[in-house]
Amino acid sequence: MLNAAKQARCFPDAPALLDSPPEPPRPRAGLDRPIALIPAYNEEATIGSIVGQIRQRFDYPVVVIDDCSSDATARRARAAGATVLPLSLQLGAWGAIQTGLRYALRHGYQTAITLDADGQHEPECIGELIEPLIERQADVVIGAFPERASRARRLAWSYFRWLTGLKLEDITSGFRAYNHPAMTVLASPEASLLDYQDVGVLLILRRKRLRAVEVPVSMQPRAQGSSRVFRSWWIVGKYMLQTSVLCLARIGHRSTPLTPDD
Amino acid sequence: MLTYQSTSMVIGISLALIILFLVRRDRLHGPYAIWWIGAAATVGALGFYPELFDHLAVYLGVRYPPILAIILGLGMLLVKILTMDLERSRQERLIRRLTQRLAMLEARGPLPDIGEPGSEPKVEDSAYPAPRASGSQKA
Repeated sequence: MLNAAKQARCFPDAPALLDSPPEPPRPRAGLDRPIALIPAYNEEATIGSIVGQIRQRFDYPVVVIDDCSSDATARRARAAGATVLPLSLQLGAWGAIQTGLRYALRHGYQTAITLDADGQHEPECIGELIEPLIERQADVVIGAFPERASRARRLAWSYFRWLTGLKLEDITSGFRAYNHPAMTVLASPEASLLDYQDVGVLLILRRKRLRAVEVPVSMQPRAQGSSRVFRSWWIVGKYMLQTSVLCLARIGHRSTPLTPDD
Repeated sequence: MLTYQSTSMVIGISLALIILFLVRRDRLHGPYAIWWIGAAATVGALGFYPELFDHLAVYLGVRYPPILAIILGLGMLLVKILTMDLERSRQERLIRRLTQRLAMLEARGPLPDIGEPGSEPKVEDSAYPAPRASGSQKA
């Protein structure tokens, strides 16, 4: 409901009809189970087995957001039992995840889990990941595996921790679980100009007084390719600068009142 | 030889005419048209009365009047570029959300569900594929 209102604000010229689907999504049986969201860009080598593992182990609906892949990612994902959302413009990791969150909200899901498509995250750990959500101890759970990080990355993390005052260990982990209020906040236009699912996302959540916790998980070394962010010094530099500006821009926002979303 | 006055007049008038021509041809969208008509008027007026700046400079205590024109011009450009980037950011947000919505509308269910081409499975249903034994997995 609230989400529809926010979307309507985003497109003031669009007829209201577009914003509210003919029959508003209402919770149905089985919707209390989480939905798994996997942003993917050219991950045909790994996507099938990840989707398959989740489907087999948990029987959650799996949504793969295809960020303009040029390979068989979409086909492999569908063959493995996932629904594919094909982005027509490349939006990057966060844009893809937000697509998934909006899709999940529109279909009435209460919990969303995000995983990387490169096989880094162990679907086995999803159970531990959503536990704090079930117990209502947190609104966001981050699957943390700080040991994976290189020294440079750890340095970057502690720099951002210092800059933002966030108390979290693994702030760039893409292995996360969100509950409904967190999904609603992150699906809003306010979060649409972010580029990565990391500091900016955590800052928005903190601003809305949503609680984030970390649970330790095990992670695989990347099966294929390398991190999208920590790829070259040029990109790292751009990322550090952009994220620093983002952090500094948010400094005054720390103590805004509670979100009405709950 | 031309006087500086006729030179500035020619420059001012031609700039103003080009802008007005573009506005009339509908090449500039609403709010931009207003900004540019204002710009055309200013340029035109300054073309006819370049000494306006001399008076203004004396009033503002600027020793060398042309520099005042340059600084004001640069200032206006800066404002214009700033508003352009604001607008671009707004549009970027809209484009991203539009792209996301398009992807949601184009959602495609798991492969066995799309039997005949042309009849997409309903998006609503495609999110809940019937559980099936995934054969190709070696868990």
